[in-house]
Amino acid sequence: MPNIKLDRRHFIKASAASLFMAGVPIAGYTKDRPPGNIAVILLEGGMDGLTAVPPIGDPDLLRMRASMTPTDYLPLNQFFGLHPSLANYAALMARNEATVIHTTSFPYTKRSHFEGQNLMEGGGLSPFAEKTGWLGRALELAKLPGRALSLDMPLILRGYNDNDNFFPASIRNSKRPDTELVDLIAMSHQADVGNFFNKVANKSAKKVNIPRDAISLAKYAGQEMARSDGPIASVIKVKEFDTHANQVADNGEDMQGRHAIQLTIVDDVIAAYREGLGEAWKDTIILTLTEFGRTVAVNGTRGTDHGYASAGLLAGGSISSSSVIADWPGLRKRDQFEERDLMATIDYRSVCAACIERSLGLDHDQIASEIFFDPQLPRLYDYIFS
Amino acid sequence: MNESFRVAQKLGLMFKPSDPLPKDIKAWASNQLQAPSPALGQAYKFDPIEPWPINLQPNLKERADMWRLFRENVQKERERKDGQETEVAKQANQQNNLMRDKDELKFAHRNVFGNDQLRLRFAAFWANHFTIGNTFDTSSMIGHAIDEAIITNLNGDFANMLYKITTHPGMLTYLDNIWSAGESSQHTKSCRKNPDCQAGLNDNLGRELLELHTMSPAAGYTETDIRNTARVLAGWGIDFEANTEEMLKTVKTTNHWQAFKPRYAEPGTKKVLGKTIYAGKNGLKQLTDYLASHEQTTTFIATKLCQHFVSDEPKQADIAYVSEAWRQSNGQLDAIHTAVIERAIATDEAKFIWPMTWLFQVVRISDATFFKGWEDIYNYDEDIMNTRKIFAELGQSFWSSRQPDGYSSDKTEWLSAEMLERRIRFADAIYSVGQTKQSVSEIMDRLGVNDNTRNLVASTRSKRHKFIALMCSPELMGLSYA
Repeated sequence: MPNIKLDRRHFIKASAASLFMAGVPIAGYTKDRPPGNIAVILLEGGMDGLTAVPPIGDPDLLRMRASMTPTDYLPLNQFFGLHPSLANYAALMARNEATVIHTTSFPYTKRSHFEGQNLMEGGGLSPFAEKTGWLGRALELAKLPGRALSLDMPLILRGYNDNDNFFPASIRNSKRPDTELVDLIAMSHQADVGNFFNKVANKSAKKVNIPRDAISLAKYAGQEMARSDGPIASVIKVKEFDTHANQVADNGEDMQGRHAIQLTIVDDVIAAYREGLGEAWKDTIILTLTEFGRTVAVNGTRGTDHGYASAGLLAGGSISSSSVIADWPGLRKRDQFEERDLMATIDYRSVCAACIERSLGLDHDQIASEIFFDPQLPRLYDYIFS
Repeated sequence: MNESFRVAQKLGLMFKPSDPLPKDIKAWASNQLQAPSPALGQAYKFDPIEPWPINLQPNLKERADMWRLFRENVQKERERKDGQETEVAKQANQQNNLMRDKDELKFAHRNVFGNDQLRLRFAAFWANHFTIGNTFDTSSMIGHAIDEAIITNLNGDFANMLYKITTHPGMLTYLDNIWSAGESSQHTKSCRKNPDCQAGLNDNLGRELLELHTMSPAAGYTETDIRNTARVLAGWGIDFEANTEEMLKTVKTTNHWQAFKPRYAEPGTKKVLGKTIYAGKNGLKQLTDYLASHEQTTTFIATKLCQHFVSDEPKQADIAYVSEAWRQSNGQLDAIHTAVIERAIATDEAKFIWPMTWLFQVVRISDATFFKGWEDIYNYDEDIMNTRKIFAELGQSFWSSRQPDGYSSDKTEWLSAEMLERRIRFADAIYSVGQTKQSVSEIMDRLGVNDNTRNLVASTRSKRHKFIALMCSPELMGLSYA
């Protein structure tokens, strides 16, 4: 089995993550600040919804995957429990500030990471159909382009208009680029590239020292989003959910398995957001995104393979009543998708659409047709936010 | 740029001031595929260039021994035994027994000092096509895979390279195959009797072998084909920590590259896209040969090669030309690479250059010193950053923990304000501390840069700015020749 022998705190601290922030209001262009903030946590690799939010009330769960199911789960209701790694999240559920969407997925069934990730970030009708991302298009529609904080620009934040990005460089013996020099370089390039160089010139001279681990990044992002001139949206990427092996540890202690460790990071990220946001928490919605769930059956290397439906974790003061929203399909072979995966019964694009509607104040029909290119996309807003 | 440098930019790493410019650039380019390919470097910065020392290039067995020792010392560190818990011992354990930093520096040295620039560009393409991400468990194996599975096999056929990289312990570890066991294997069957034991099939490598390494989803294979591919793979590979005794017992060899556990293998023949694959260790070669010869593999990889070397949006004619060379030669890499070279030379549009490739090119044309010597890897140098840090700040490294689809060749994935600022800052740092032996005007004359570049450089005020402007010009970044 892979070597997960570091202690949990040490591992979490060491695990690098990426933060992207966008939607900084620009004077003279932006309309009034929208009703709320939106934060997306990308769970890269395929998060196992059956591990994160086990359907304890389904008699087939223990029959199908006893070794994957924590015995010390935190009960949510008669049917669902929460993985013990999600202790902070459980407290938010108790305060009516978190809601789980289960048996959900983007409409994609082919189990490729790269097609799945492209679809969950691009939000198009098929993989690789869109060059922009759903959150980028949403910020565009809300007239909120602006800077992203990252080294590269993730697909989810790319919009029609020009987003900007920055990430503090640490290159010894180099100086902050001279504005006049950068302007000259920008002019020598074709317009599209020159445009990016222009942004280098306009970059703030302010020195920012930003940590690189997920939890510190989330706190920082929360603080930035809480400022009246700060970003409306942020995206944090947490990797390593692709647990084909060692999803649970070989000593049977679930807390040390890879999925448990990654869920702890997610739990701490949400808590850190809350701390950083302070008062702004009440108008914020945080949602997780993953490319697919994992197989119902355990694969024999203490892991699971690529599947279909998973769960989405929502949190934030924008939620007023906690629940687990699911149309439970069952776990028996005949209930599964292709006799292998948890069947998806809720289109996760509808969840994204509801979060956009809540935070950016856009109209659902416009979101459905102009962001997800699917006018028939069902509206889930009332299930989540009322 | 003159034709020599255009070709060297698209397909190579640019000529150093000491390199004579070839009279016939096309002949030079195809001859480069046969260039001797030792890893060149230097012991200390400014030292003469010489081959990397043998003792810093351990073979797989030596790497496995060091890895095992590293793990044992970490265990002692936890138990506070043998003084392993001290900072000095911890540092020594990492420096003596982990290969990542040495391998990454060696890769940089090769690219900066090598006389095999085209081979190195093709090597980088294949190392990226067959990405082995750094999971820490793989960190001491990535460099070995690039050298021994990719560079060593650059002149053979694709089928051979595919087999060598698929069976490399780095790949088998990265994509979890070392733990996979067929559902009907002896191991899984005996495991079923013990409630604490788990065994079964892991399809991670099987899926990527079809999706990323060979035919791509366009081939229309099914989930069953993926499972059957995983069944063919079951048994291949063993934990890098396995000691000699354990290896002799389970795989009857001490060679990690040959490790096949019969007890984990799925008995019986398997079918992948209708092709019958026989049981046993030899089944995998049969499968990779079949995948290598598949028409979808040809067009998928020919397209990727053209996107990397010819144009972000290659023409159908370019792809057809490379595909045809592939078919005619039965997947001979020399013939395929020659076809790519011909199309890249024939296409007069610029091709975007990866950040790491650009960095090597800037260092070469300016004759700068920007990497440490191998004797200095762990010493602080106020001018020169650690190699690991250079690539991390640049945003591109073969030793980063990345996904198996590797880096995109498409410029849209790389163009952002922040990535461009990195170019400016690295050009600045190379100028400021690299002790460049070529002036900006000497470089421009030698390259024969175009008017746009000359005007840009002329409009800037200081020598430092002229250097940065040149290196960040559309021409030198491979964005536009106009």
